[in-house]
Amino acid sequence: MKHGAFNRRNALKLMGTGGLGLLFGGAAVRGSASSRSGRVVVVGGGFGGATAAKYLKRISPGLDVTLVEPAKRYYTCPFTNLYLGGLREFESLGHGYDELRDRYGVRVVHAMAKDIDVSGKKVVLEDGSELPWDRLVLSPGIDFRWGALEGYDEAASQKAPHAWKAGPQTHLLRRQLEAMEDGGTFILVAPENPYRCPPGPYERVSMIAHYMKTHKPRSKVLLLDAKDVFSKQGLFQQGWRDNYGDRIEWVGRSDDGRVMRVDADKLEVETEFGTIHKADVLNVVPPQKAGIIAERAGVTDETGWVPVDPATFRARRAEDIYVIGDATEAAPMPKSGFVANSQAKAVARAIAAELAGLDPIAEPGWANTCYSVIAPDYGITVANVYEVHDGELREVPGSGGVSPMEATPAFRSREAAYAEAWYAAIAQDTWGTRPA
Amino acid sequence: MTHPYTTRLSAPPSGAPHPLRRVIGLFAAILFLAAAAADARWERIPEAVALLDGAEPRAGALELDLPTVTQNGSSVPLTVRFPESRGENETVEALYIFAPGNPSPEVAEFSLTPALGNGELSTRIRLNQSQPVVALARTRSGDWLAGTREVRVTVSGCITANQDNDANAMQPRARASQRVRTGQLVDVRTLIRHPMETGLRERDDGTVVPERIIQSFEARRNGETILSARFHRAVSANPYLLFHVDPRTAGGTLELTWTEDTGESASATVEVPSAP
Ligand SMILES: Cc1cc2nc3c(=O)[nH]c(=O)nc-3n(C[C@H](O)[C@H](O)[C@H](O)COP(=O)(O)OP(=O)(O)OC[C@H]3O[C@@H](n4cnc5c(N)ncnc54)[C@H](O)[C@@H]3O)c2cc1C
Repeated sequence: MKHGAFNRRNALKLMGTGGLGLLFGGAAVRGSASSRSGRVVVVGGGFGGATAAKYLKRISPGLDVTLVEPAKRYYTCPFTNLYLGGLREFESLGHGYDELRDRYGVRVVHAMAKDIDVSGKKVVLEDGSELPWDRLVLSPGIDFRWGALEGYDEAASQKAPHAWKAGPQTHLLRRQLEAMEDGGTFILVAPENPYRCPPGPYERVSMIAHYMKTHKPRSKVLLLDAKDVFSKQGLFQQGWRDNYGDRIEWVGRSDDGRVMRVDADKLEVETEFGTIHKADVLNVVPPQKAGIIAERAGVTDETGWVPVDPATFRARRAEDIYVIGDATEAAPMPKSGFVANSQAKAVARAIAAELAGLDPIAEPGWANTCYSVIAPDYGITVANVYEVHDGELREVPGSGGVSPMEATPAFRSREAAYAEAWYAAIAQDTWGTRPA
Repeated sequence: MTHPYTTRLSAPPSGAPHPLRRVIGLFAAILFLAAAAADARWERIPEAVALLDGAEPRAGALELDLPTVTQNGSSVPLTVRFPESRGENETVEALYIFAPGNPSPEVAEFSLTPALGNGELSTRIRLNQSQPVVALARTRSGDWLAGTREVRVTVSGCITANQDNDANAMQPRARASQRVRTGQLVDVRTLIRHPMETGLRERDDGTVVPERIIQSFEARRNGETILSARFHRAVSANPYLLFHVDPRTAGGTLELTWTEDTGESASATVEVPSAP
C-alpha cells in the first residue's frame, strides 16, 4: 500500500471539481492551522454516516467533508416492516444525497470503500483511487456471519430471505408473502443478542400478521427465538393478542425455539432439541457483525464488533478513526437508526472541536426512541437517555421507559401516529429529504 | 460449538491480514497479561480458598467462553474448556464456578468421569452486576486449574422477574447429536423447565417468593453415574447443560435426573450413538 503524499490530481478526478474551493480554500475552522488538518472522510451514507457528514459541515462549514456511499438512493430499514404489512410504499423509504451535497457542501462519492490505509490515513476505493483524511468516520452498518448458523449462507438467503438490509431482500420477502397460499405458515428465525434493531423481529411478525389478517386470513406466524426475553416483550405479546388473537406463536429458547440448522431448499429449520419446523415462507435473521470495512481497518475485536472509547466513539484500536452506529459495541445503547443519528452528532461535535484545537465535549449524551408499529393504529415505544459514568456507557437512571401496559386504544393509536412523525423527522434530520 | 457472540481469549483476531496486525497482536498480549493477573481473583472468594486448601492453581489453564458485555444478566451463556490432556490423569474430575459479585458466589459444581472425554461444559448463569466469573478445576492427579473472565452486565440478573406461571415446570428435554465423526465427542444437550426462584424476588405486595431451585442433576449409564452437578440459585431459570460424551467408551442410553430442593424430581433418557 502506498504511503505517499496526498495526490491532488487523483483527488480532483475523484471528487469532481465542484468542491475545489472547499478543498483547497483557506482554513475556515476557527483556530485550525491549515486546510490539511481539516479533512474528514465518512464511510457509509446511512443513519450514522449521513448525519455525521451533515453535522460536521453544519458545525464547521470550513471542514472538507467527503461521504463515501455506493448507493445513489439509500433505503431505510426502519419502516420496511410497514412496507411488508402494506402500510407504506417502498419508494417512500428512499432518500438521496442532493441536500447534503447542495445545501451543506458535503462532497459525496458514490463508491464502495475497499480498504483503509490506517498508517497512510487514506480510504482506498474499489477503483484503486484514494481519499486522504485527517479524521475518519466509519458507519458501515452490519454484515452477516454467513455460515455461523448451519446451512444459512448468502445463497440460502435467496430462498429464505433475511430482509435485514433494505432493498432486493425486502422485495423478495414481499413477493414470497404474496405468492404464499392462504393457510400457509410464515416462520421467522430470531437471533441471539446483539443484532440490528432489537424490537425488529417482533415488529416484523406483527406486520406480517397484519398482512395475513387482511389478505390470507387462515395463515399463521411462528417466531422461533434464540432468546428467552426480548425488547418490549409484554407490550408486544399484549398487542399480538389484541390485534391478531392467536395468529402469532412465539417460541423462546427454553421452549426449544433456538434454531441450529436451516435447510433453505426444503424451507425447514431444526431446533436445538431436534424439532423440525416446515415453513411456506422462511425469514431468517442471521447472526451479524460490524460492516466488513471495519475489519479491514483493523478496529474490530473477537466479537466482530468495534470497541470504542465511550466518551468520544474513537475506535479503541486506532488513532483518529471514529466508529458509530450498528458497527459499534455500545451496549446498553441498542443498534438503532435513532442511536446512530445521535452518536453521529456527538462525534461531529467531538471531531470539529478537536480539529479546531478546542477542548473535548465535557459531558456527551445520547438518546434513543424505538417505535414499533403492531397494527395500523397500534404503536408502542421504548425510550432512553445515555451517559458516560465511571468510564462506561449507561442509561441515565430514571431517564427512560416503555409505553404503559394499560393504555386506551386512543393512546396506542397516537403512538402509531407519532411513529410516522418520527420517521419523517429523522429522515429530514439525516438526509434533509422531505417525506414522500 | 462456539456461541456466535461469545469470545475466546485465545481466538485469533478476525479479518484479513493488515498492517495493524502486529499492533493487534500486542493488544492481545496485553489483554492476556491482564487476564492472567485477574485470575488471582479466586484468592478473594472464601469458598474457593477453602476448596483449594493451600494448593496453587494453574492460572489461565481453563478457557472461559462468556460474552464481554451482556444486556441480560439473568441468562449469560458460559462454556468452560479444559486444556489438552496427556492421559487420563490430567483429565478434569471436578469443576467449580463462582460469580463473586453475586449475593452468594457459588454458581455450580460438577463431578466428571472419563466417559465425558474431558470435553467442554456449557450452561447459562445469572450475574447480578459486572464482575469476573471464576472457574476452578481439579484433575484426577490432584492438580488445580483456574480461569477467569470479566463480564460487563448492563441489566442485572437477579431482579429480573420470573414469570409466576410455571405450569410447565419440571418438564425436561434432552438430545444427543447423532452424527458421530471419528475421534470426536458427542454433544448432549439438556434442559429442564424451572423458575429457579432465588428467594430474593419480591411480589407486588412486598412478600418474598421463597427459594425453589433445581439442586442437582445426574447422568447415569448402566446404573453408573458419569456426570453429576450441583446447581445454586445463580444458575439461570430453565437450567441448561451441554456436556460431551466419548462415543467410543460411553455410547448407549443415558438416564438423566433433575432433583428440586423440595425433593421432587424429573427424569429423561437420551440415546448416545456408539463409535468404534
Ligand atoms: C426491519 C428493521 C427495522 C428497523 N426499524 C428501526 C426503527 O424503527 N427505528 C430505528 O431507529 N432503527 C430501526 N432499525 C435499525 C436501523 O436500520 C439501523 O440501526 C441503522 O440503519 C444503523 O445505521 P448505520 O449508519 O450504522 O448503518 P446503515 O444505516 O446500514 O448504513 C450503512 C451504510 O454504509 C454503506 N457501506 C457499508 N460498507 C461500505 C463501504 N465499504 N464503503 C462505502 N459504503 C459502505 C452501506 O451501503 C450503507 O448505506 C431497523 C432495522 C431493521 C432491519
